[in-house]
Amino acid sequence: MRANKAQVWGLISPTLILMILIGVVPVIYVIYLSVFRYSVFSRTGMVYIGFDNYRNLMFDSSFWSSLGLGLSFVFFCCIIELPLGLLIANLLTYEFKGKGVFRTIMALPLAMAPVSIGSMWVLLTNPDVGPLPYFLGKIGVNYNIGVNANQAFATTVFMDVWHWTPFVILTFMAGLASLPKDPYEASLVDGANRWQTFRYITLPLLRPVILTTLFIRIMDTFRIFDEVWMLTSGGPGTATRFVSIHLVREALRSMNYGYSSAMSLFLLYLTIVICWLLLTFISASQEES
Amino acid sequence: MRKRLLIMVFALCFLLISTAAFAQVANPDWWKKAAEPYQGVVIHGVTESTPPSKAIAEVAIPAFEELTGIKVELETTSWDEMYNKEIQDMQAGTGIYDFVYIEQDAFASYLEQGWLYGLNSLAENAELTYPDFDLPDFTSFIDSFKDEEGTLYGIPFEAFLKTYIYRTDLFNDPEIQAAFKEKYGYDLAVPTTWEQYTDIAKFFTEYGKEKGIELYGHVAQAKTHPCLAYELCETIWPTWGVYNWGVNLENMRTSVENGGTLNSDAAKEALRWYVDMLQYAPPGVRTYTWDEAAAVFGTGIIAQGFLYMENLGFLANDPNRSVVIGKIGVDLPPTKPGVLEAAEAGEGYIGYYDGGAWGIPKAAKNKEAAWLFMQWCTRKEWQPEFAKLATTVVRQSAFEDPAITELNEKMGNYYTVMQEKGHLFAGCPPLPMQTPLNELYLQWISKAVAGEVSAEECLDKLAKEADKLMEDLGY
Repeated sequence: MRANKAQVWGLISPTLILMILIGVVPVIYVIYLSVFRYSVFSRTGMVYIGFDNYRNLMFDSSFWSSLGLGLSFVFFCCIIELPLGLLIANLLTYEFKGKGVFRTIMALPLAMAPVSIGSMWVLLTNPDVGPLPYFLGKIGVNYNIGVNANQAFATTVFMDVWHWTPFVILTFMAGLASLPKDPYEASLVDGANRWQTFRYITLPLLRPVILTTLFIRIMDTFRIFDEVWMLTSGGPGTATRFVSIHLVREALRSMNYGYSSAMSLFLLYLTIVICWLLLTFISASQEES
Repeated sequence: MRKRLLIMVFALCFLLISTAAFAQVANPDWWKKAAEPYQGVVIHGVTESTPPSKAIAEVAIPAFEELTGIKVELETTSWDEMYNKEIQDMQAGTGIYDFVYIEQDAFASYLEQGWLYGLNSLAENAELTYPDFDLPDFTSFIDSFKDEEGTLYGIPFEAFLKTYIYRTDLFNDPEIQAAFKEKYGYDLAVPTTWEQYTDIAKFFTEYGKEKGIELYGHVAQAKTHPCLAYELCETIWPTWGVYNWGVNLENMRTSVENGGTLNSDAAKEALRWYVDMLQYAPPGVRTYTWDEAAAVFGTGIIAQGFLYMENLGFLANDPNRSVVIGKIGVDLPPTKPGVLEAAEAGEGYIGYYDGGAWGIPKAAKNKEAAWLFMQWCTRKEWQPEFAKLATTVVRQSAFEDPAITELNEKMGNYYTVMQEKGHLFAGCPPLPMQTPLNELYLQWISKAVAGEVSAEECLDKLAKEADKLMEDLGY
C-alpha cells in the first residue's frame, strides 16, 4: 500500500511541480507586486504602499468604465450566441441536403487564430476599402467604426458572435445527441406539439449543457483581447476599451506593474465569484435532472 | 591538362562569386580576421519591422554571416512588441539579446535605467573596430545616443524626418492652380502657414468631390494607438510653439500652473485644429496608424500631409505599392508665426527627427560579435545601397554619393531638406518616462478625437494627470 502511495506521488509530482511553477508562483508574485508602487520607469524603484493600489482602484473611473464595457460585451455576446446556437443546433437535428458541408463551413471560424480573425475584420470593416461599409452605404447606412462608438462596439460583438457561435452549436449538438429518447416518445403519445416538446422536454434536459456552455462563454468573452486589439485597439476613444484591453495597456504600455497587479487580482476575484455562482447553478441543475 | 583547366575554371568562378558577394566590402580580410574568434557564435537581436530593418535582415545579414561565420538571429516585429521584448530582457538582465533597437525616443529611459552598455571601450579597440568606421562621419543624429559625459550607447542605422509631403503633379497642374487661385485669391504653393495648409486641404477635398474623384487634402494617423499621441507631440504642437511634449524639462511638470505648456492656449488651439482637420482626410482616417497613413498616400488619393520619411523608399520606388512615383515633393512643415525663426535661432524646433540605433544591453553575452555586426550595418560603403533600400542616411559622406543625388530627385528633394534643414528638427526630448506618458496622452487625446471630450477638457485633465504621473514616478 505504502509503495503504491509513493508510486502515485511519483507519477503526479511532475505535473504538480509544473502546475505550481506556472500557476501558483506567478499568482503569489502578482500578490506581492500588488502592494508596491512599481513602474519600470520609476526613479524610486519599488515602494511598499500597502493596499493603496486597491484603494486607488476603487476610485479609478476609467477602470470601472472599462469593466462596465467588458461586462456589457459579455452580456451581449452571450445573449446572442446561446439562443442562436441552440436554434441552429436544433435545426441541424433535421436531415437536409448539404448538411455535412454546412457543418464543416460553420465550424471553420473555430479553427482560426483570434489574431487572424481580428485582421480579417479590419479588412472587412475598413471605411475606405472594406466591403461592409460599402454595402451598408448602398442601403443608406453610414458605417464607420473609426468614428461611431456604437458601431464599433456592435462590430466587436458581432465579430465574437461570428467566431464563437459555432462552438456553442457544437456543444449543443453534442448535448442534444446525448438526450434520452423515452421522454420524446412519451410526449408523442401524449400529443405534444414541437414547441411543447422543445419547451418542456428538450430545454429542461439540456439545462446542464446550456449552463456549462454559458459558463465557458462568459469566461472567454470576459477576457477577450486579441480580436478587439487588432480591430479597434479599444477605440474610437474608449468605446471598446474593455477591461482586458485596459489591463494590458496599464501593464504592458504604461508598465505600471504594481497597480496592474492589483487590477489583475481584483479581476481574478471577480472571475472566481462569477465561476462559483455558475458552478452552483450547474450543480443544482444536475441534481434536479 | 583537362584537370588543371577545370581547377582553373573553378577557381575563377569562385573568385567571381566571392567578388560579387562582397562587392561592397572594401576590406573583407579585416572582417574575416576580426571575426575569427567568434566564428560559429550566434548573436540575437530584436528590431521593429521597418524598411531599414528589413533591408538589414534581407541583405546585410546574409552577407555578414557568409563573410564572418557569425550567425545573426534578428527578430523583426511590431513596434510595441519590440519594446516589450527588449525592455523585459534588459530589465531582468537575462541576456537573451546581444543587440537591440534603441528608438531615439526611448534612449533617455534606457539610459536612466542603466540598461545599456557604453560602446566607447569597443570603439577604441583597434582589433574590433573597422579602420574606416569613422565615427565623426555620422550625422549629428549620433549625438542623440550619448550621455552627458559623451559616452556613446548606440550606433544609428536609421534616421529620418517626419515632415510635409505633397503631390507635385497636383500642385503643378495649371487647371488646379487656376481653380485654387480663383477660390482663395493666392497661388497654390507649399504652405508656410497653417491657414494655408487648411485652405489647401479643404480645396483638394472639395475638388475631389466636385470632379467625382477620390481625393483628399489631408491625412493623419488618428487611430486609438500610440501613434496618435506621437503625432501631436512630434509634428503638430512644435509648429504651434509647444515643445517637449508640453513638459517643462526643469521640473518635469506639464500643466501651465506648474510651468508646462500642455494645457496652454496654443496646445488647445492645435488640438482643436487637429480634430477639425480630420474632416478633410479619408473616411477611414481614425483607423490609420503611421503605416496606413503612408500606404494611403501611396494609393494616390492624398494631396498633402505629414509622413515619416522612412516610407519614401516605397512611395518613390516601388510600383507595386505606390502610384505616386515621380510625383512627390518634400518640404518643411507650416508653422505659426515666429516658430521657424525660433528654430533657426536654436530655441525650438519644427518637427521630428526620428530614428534608431543599435545598442548592446549590459547583460548581452556576445558583445564583441554584436559590435562587429553593428559596424557592418553602418559601414560607409554600404550606405548608398542601404539608402536605396530603406531611404535612411546616417552618414555625412553618404549625402555626397552620386547614388544619393539620383535618389534625391525621385524623393522630392528629401535628402536636401534633411541635409540643409535637418537641424530645425529634433528628436524626442529627454523624457525617461516617455512610454507611460505617451500612453496617458493617448488615453486623453483619443477621447478628444472621438468627440468624447472637448480639446479644453482633454488637455486640462491630461496635464493634471501627467503631473501626478511624474510625481508618482519620482520626478
